[in-house]
Amino acid sequence: MTVTVKLFGAMKAQLGNVSELNVRLERGHRVRDLIEAIRATHPGVGALLRDKNVLVSVNHDIAHEDTELAHIDEIALLPPFSGGARALRRSHVHAPVRR
Amino acid sequence: MSMPRSVVEVDDAMLVRLQREDFSIDEEIARVRGRSSRIGGIATFLGTARDRSDERDVSSLVFDYYEGMAQKTLRDIRSRALREFDVIEVLLLHRYGEIAVGDNIVLVVVGAMHRADAFRACRWCIDELKQITPIWKCEHTPDGAVWVEQHP
Repeated sequence: MTVTVKLFGAMKAQLGNVSELNVRLERGHRVRDLIEAIRATHPGVGALLRDKNVLVSVNHDIAHEDTELAHIDEIALLPPFSGGARALRRSHVHAPVRR
Repeated sequence: MSMPRSVVEVDDAMLVRLQREDFSIDEEIARVRGRSSRIGGIATFLGTARDRSDERDVSSLVFDYYEGMAQKTLRDIRSRALREFDVIEVLLLHRYGEIAVGDNIVLVVVGAMHRADAFRACRWCIDELKQITPIWKCEHTPDGAVWVEQHP
């Protein structure tokens, strides 16, 4: 299954203003599998995922690592918002706070 | 009985907006004021572009946002404010794209019967907006462009 992932802010800049990634999910279909796949295929983005508190959204809702993904889902990587989401920022992509 | 003259029909979509263009604070306040003649107090918060950030000079800003999710988040904040505070109307407006120093960025307008509720809800709305709305700010500084990720 291949999913399309939207990028914003620093993550988009990292890839030279590319605003979407196509990521092939070979093994599982959950958010954690997506993160693994991105780390393998896009190390630059993977490093940002590790260093920053990036949230993953699925269909405009904040997801968690067990969230299942479908081909048609609208998926995005959300670097910390400029307004300062302190409570959210404390949580890494591996354990985002559920709102 | 006819509707009070001051009550005007406003599309809800006008009360939650992301837009590139500047806005008129008077017009936005009028939009809220016109929603109900019960309103007796209107609190506003206006965020503007400053020329200094983390001890760096800032010459201009660019705001990026997540189309769809940002609007949904603002709609949620407005609904929650209307539900959880004793207020009559809430307007949330954020600009995107390039913004010059001194220009308007974000506006919150809250109308209530009484000022205490208007102030409280207005404060909550701007704090919530900044925390959970997928909007990103890039500052142009002498050292280059910086995506801001930690701001009070």
